[in-house]
Parts: sequence; C-alpha cells; structure tokens
Amino acid sequence: MVIDDSRAMRMILKRIVAKLNFEAVEAGDGQEALDLLATMTEVPELALIDWNMPNMNGLEFVTKVRAESRLREMTLVMVTTESEQSQIVRALAAGAHEYVIKPFTEGAMIEKLALLGLVPTGANS
Amino acid sequence: MSVETVVTEDDLAEMVEQVWASYLDPEGVNPLIPTGDDKQTTEVHSTVSITGTWHGHLVYASSTQAARKAAAAFLAMEVEEVGQEDISDVLGELANIVGGNVKAMLPAGCFLSLPTVVMAPDTASYYPAAERISGLWGVWDGEPISISMWQSVKQGETA
Repeated sequence: MVIDDSRAMRMILKRIVAKLNFEAVEAGDGQEALDLLATMTEVPELALIDWNMPNMNGLEFVTKVRAESRLREMTLVMVTTESEQSQIVRALAAGAHEYVIKPFTEGAMIEKLALLGLVPTGANS
Repeated sequence: MSVETVVTEDDLAEMVEQVWASYLDPEGVNPLIPTGDDKQTTEVHSTVSITGTWHGHLVYASSTQAARKAAAAFLAMEVEEVGQEDISDVLGELANIVGGNVKAMLPAGCFLSLPTVVMAPDTASYYPAAERISGLWGVWDGEPISISMWQSVKQGETA
C-alpha cells in the first residue's frame, strides 16, 4: 500500500514495489488508507507512508494501524521529508518499522526493503 | 534570526543534487547548472511555508518548459503528455522535498506546510512580507530553475 498525497510520489513508489513483485494499492492520505483497509479482506504486507498529508497524517495513520489487531502484521515504512532525529524517533516509537527520507534513489529504497526481508530473491535483477 | 548562515547556497545545491540524482537525472547526465542569474524569468512557482521558530518560505521556480520536463522525468511520461495537474503535483512534491530538508537545518520547532503551486510569473508579488535571503539559480537543459528561501520581514527585523 502506498500512502502519499502526491500522485507523483505514489507513482514512483508503485514503480519500485512493482519491481519487487508487489501489487500496490494507493491512498492520498491516512484516512483514505484506513477506509480502504476496512474494505480489504487481505491485509497488505507493506505500507509506504508519507508524513505530511491532509486529513490524516502519516504518524496518526501509523498509530491507528498499530492499535488495530487485524493490521498487526503490516510492515510500516515512513517515506518522508521529515528528517529530524526527533521526528524519526516519534515515528519509530509510534510503530513504524523503518524510515526513508526523501529524496531517495530506487536503489536506496530497495535496500531498506531488503533489510526488512521484503525483497524476494531475484527481484530487481 | 537569519538563517543565511544556516542554509547556504551550497546547502541548497547539495539538496538539488540529491533530488536530481533521485528523480530528475538518475543517470547523472543532465544536471542543473548553476548560473547565479537571479534575474532569470520563471513562470511556475511552487512554495512550501515554514512556521514555528522560523517563519518563511521555500520557493521552487522554473520556466513552464522546465516544469514539463521535470514532470515527465518524475512520472516517466513523454513531455508532450504532461498536463497541468502533472506539473502542479510534481513541482509541489519537489518544493516539499527541498523544503523538508531545509526545515531539518533550521532550529527545532518548525513546521512545514503542504505545497502551493502557482503558474504565473513574478514570485515577489506572493510574499509582500518576506525578503529573499538565499537562493540557487541555474539552468537545466537550457531552461531556468531556481530554489530560493524567503524570510518573514517582521521576524528578520526583530531578530
């Protein structure tokens, strides 16, 4: 799942995860993502989440997902321009597994996802 | 407090280099070439505002053609296919990315707004209460692009 209010950023992230054989759904903010999750029978394995979004920001989304047992298995990765140490700590404390700072290269994103065990053997080769 | 010494032209250049390497020129063959020409004409202006312990704006400005090229590169489209919505979305994200990294260099306690994109010339008219304190001016594929920081005049006067 790709959650970002920028359509351009959603496209870039979708391109990257497609190379890793993920089928991505997208949402423009945290609330839209929660609404979408509520309709899904199968919980996505991964969510890439922007921080600054209208309606519901990424930190609120992470907090809400972590409070929901049905969504416990989702791997949450913040993908954001918020690069201060204090913000990174807040996101990780709220339940994000990883943190990627924009701008990022495709290679850097794939490396992060590999660290989380989300890159299948042979992907992106 | 002025951030002129905190966020320098070199800092902006470094951020721009990262943005180009990540999204606009991943092959490293078509960089933004600094010219220092702060009189260059730009037609698309994308702004994020910073509030909190520091007040001001980060403005990403370019010609319409450079904006189209940026959108095409970002969205993996042909330049001819790029529409206004694509330009608005991509330039908003570019200002957001640079603004977010600028914010990290400012004193703690700053907040970043969502981006606003205006397709019209003359940046200064949008910020009557701010003055430009730093900037990077250059050309990309022969088209003008600038990234500038504007500080609230009121804050600058009282600092």
